[in-house]
Amino acid sequence: MQEFLQQLVGGLAIGGIFASLALALVLIYNAMGLVNFAQGEMAMLATFVAYALINRGMSYWIALPVTLVLAFGGGIVIQRVVIRPVEKAPILTLVIITLGLATLLNGLAGFIFGYVPRSFPSAFSAQTIDLLGVFISYRDLGVIGVSGLVLLAVYLLLQHTTVGLTLRAAAHHPEASRLLGVQVSWMLALGWGLAAAVGAVSGIMVAPILLLEPNMMQSIIIYAFAAAVLGGIESPIGAVVGGLIVGVTVNLAGAYLPFVGGDLQLAVGLAIIIVVLIIRPNGLFGRAAARRV
Amino acid sequence: MLQRIRRAPPRYWLVGVVVLFFIGFPTVISSFLASEWAQALILAIAIMGLNILVGYSGQLSLGHGAFMALGAYTSAILAHRFKMDLVATIPIAGLLTGMVGFVFGIPALRLSALYLALATFALAVVTPSLIKRPAELTGGVQGIILTQPDPPAFAQSAYGFLTGTAMTSDQWIYYICLFCALILLWFAWNLVRHRPGRAMRAIRDGEVAAAASGVNIAGYKTLAFGISAFYAGIAGALFALAAGFVSPDTFPVSLSIQLLVGAVVGGLASIPGPLLGAVFAYFLPIESSQWVPNQSWIPDQIASTVKNAGPAVTYGAILILIMIFAPNGIVGLLHRGYVALNRRLRGAADRETGQMPPNPQTV
Amino acid sequence: MALLELEEVRAGYGPTSVLHGISLEVPDGGVVSLLGANGAGKTTTLRAITGGVRWTGDIRFRGRSLRRMATEEIVRRGIAHVPEGRGICTELTVDENLRLGSHLRRDAPEVKKDYDRVFEYFPVLKQRRRLSASTLSGGEQQMLALARAFLMRPTLMLLDEPSLGLAPIIVRSIFEIIRSINETSQVAVLLVEQNARIALDLSMTAYVLEVGRVAVHGAAAELRSDDSVRRSYLGY
Repeated sequence: MQEFLQQLVGGLAIGGIFASLALALVLIYNAMGLVNFAQGEMAMLATFVAYALINRGMSYWIALPVTLVLAFGGGIVIQRVVIRPVEKAPILTLVIITLGLATLLNGLAGFIFGYVPRSFPSAFSAQTIDLLGVFISYRDLGVIGVSGLVLLAVYLLLQHTTVGLTLRAAAHHPEASRLLGVQVSWMLALGWGLAAAVGAVSGIMVAPILLLEPNMMQSIIIYAFAAAVLGGIESPIGAVVGGLIVGVTVNLAGAYLPFVGGDLQLAVGLAIIIVVLIIRPNGLFGRAAARRV
Repeated sequence: MLQRIRRAPPRYWLVGVVVLFFIGFPTVISSFLASEWAQALILAIAIMGLNILVGYSGQLSLGHGAFMALGAYTSAILAHRFKMDLVATIPIAGLLTGMVGFVFGIPALRLSALYLALATFALAVVTPSLIKRPAELTGGVQGIILTQPDPPAFAQSAYGFLTGTAMTSDQWIYYICLFCALILLWFAWNLVRHRPGRAMRAIRDGEVAAAASGVNIAGYKTLAFGISAFYAGIAGALFALAAGFVSPDTFPVSLSIQLLVGAVVGGLASIPGPLLGAVFAYFLPIESSQWVPNQSWIPDQIASTVKNAGPAVTYGAILILIMIFAPNGIVGLLHRGYVALNRRLRGAADRETGQMPPNPQTV
Repeated sequence: MALLELEEVRAGYGPTSVLHGISLEVPDGGVVSLLGANGAGKTTTLRAITGGVRWTGDIRFRGRSLRRMATEEIVRRGIAHVPEGRGICTELTVDENLRLGSHLRRDAPEVKKDYDRVFEYFPVLKQRRRLSASTLSGGEQQMLALARAFLMRPTLMLLDEPSLGLAPIIVRSIFEIIRSINETSQVAVLLVEQNARIALDLSMTAYVLEVGRVAVHGAAAELRSDDSVRRSYLGY
């Protein structure tokens, strides 16, 4: 029982990381009906930026916000340079472009930082505390706390600020929003910037666990896909719940299902994607939207 | 007969010249280069299959590397565990993969284009770890090492008669790949010119309209998946043959990306496109990784990172640039150039006869 | 100088042209209606003004040409456009829709007063503030669209068929409110309508479009009393 609870908390921590990346995917999906295949690589590159900053002697708690701001700017630049020229292109074109972007960013990271895995500092110690007989590491608690904070910040921004309101309006009703003076194209760029920053948090949280290298996010993005699909790809709350469920499921499956073990955890992610898409394509929180033809 | 050949349109002449070129090619290049071109042909087969799925039926698969892996392992397991002749396993691998693809196409029907891309991408990422698991069957991380076949006597003597040198195993494998590529090319060409091709394009351009004109949407979409997977399966089996081994890491997600690059660069929904795209996608990383380390003025450290990261950077940049500036790929560019040139030439001729060139907007 | 001037405006969608040279004027604080049959180009005229279609000729608002200006920018200069189909953001709540109307304004106390007036005009919107806009009926959505446009504090409102699909009694009350907004807030109105009778009652001048051209124009009272115009163009 005690071990089970420890696995559960570990799952929630890793699930919080998935949730951040899934939330980034949902933000871009809502802005333009697109799954951003480059989201993981964008987060990876941002993590490298944080690494470089910390390596140059910047303190962790300053490097973190600086990185988020840089990621935000980077997301905007990417939208302006790469996505905007094809804004009205068919969805297949856009998907292929984000894939190209993923490949490009992966190569760039390898080009600049090399492929040797590096250890990334964590702000929280790996020591454990005893909570009612369950040993939980500060690191897990910290990751849960930071993820929770990010998700709360995004929620407040979207639901309780004017910028968030115009962002949502531009995403769902571009034509009507334009007639209300909303600068829709910039709102899309803002959405990309926001997604990049939120995704960056997941990269920075996962790097101490996985070691930092250009392919670090390749498995995390699959879990994030699973989380987003499970939650309903247009629902921010769904992304969070989906992320936590996927994290716990993967952790428990790895610990208790002998045939899964460590090496088939990723296959659990794939299985979640496929099962959800076949049984309930709208996910847990998605509305049964009319199928687009 | 002679009359027919003489009257054949220039397009057929071009096809003839290209085929002759590929047949004669190994006699003038080294055995090693022949094996590289065999790899490019294999890639071309897989890309042809992907092109039928993406270009003609409009379903985006980012997981075609997984189908190649299935074909390769089917062939390798049959040859290694069941002692079958490696060449004879190729059609079996193709058919099995095709069937799996067909079955895969049924749930894919329910998915939107985006979800399909997402699911197939996840499949491509997970494939290597799925292969490793049944280690008794697949050889686990080590994979399976295969013995490559020697050229049979008839090929030996024909080759010796023509060139006066002995045929190597690599050259024989090249011809097997060429043979498969030509047959599959011919098949694809017939497919898209006839009813199934028209139906698939109609579906791609609008399912509602296609259904209204009586096209069996579910049937053709799953058919496209099946055929496409069949091509990938053949390509995978040939890959096992040409490489002489299979292992989980020969089928990383970047293979699926490479296939997509080839399809997009060559030109989606075109028949010659995959050939051009394959040559490009296969030789670009090889050439760039050979060229850079050979330049003495580039420091070693930079050279080695370029060697590692170069292909990804160029692939990524090229995917983006092509999609933005030339969504129809090389074939689209060539076609545009040809039309422009033709108009130029005709325009010049028309000036002499005093006729107006055709209105550019109606061409 | 009129508030809005269109001069020989031609516009269309792709190769099909819809407007073949429209000229019209909306005076400061005036109400002008644009009448005509389906497909005459009424909606396209409004869309040209807010940059929704490409056009040639000239459109001037407060003396400045709107050529090559983005929709957002035109709107920010003081034109509120209630489009065909009302343009309600059904993903958002009623309150959020209203807030979108006033989101560019910095004069908080005035905004507050305008909200009070909106809820005075349309008490039903106050009751439904927290609900999703998709739950509103057609008439309530029209009210919401009008309220939202009012909250933008425009100098000119473009209204595209506010009566479409509504019961006569609701149409009458909505037109009463349009009149009140026009009179008390000095907002000029360019009104597109199929329902010529009620539009002419409200407006000072009217233009009748026929296949992309102005067929007749003049004071509303004159058009109303001219039997031949009424029979051939207005259909009542």
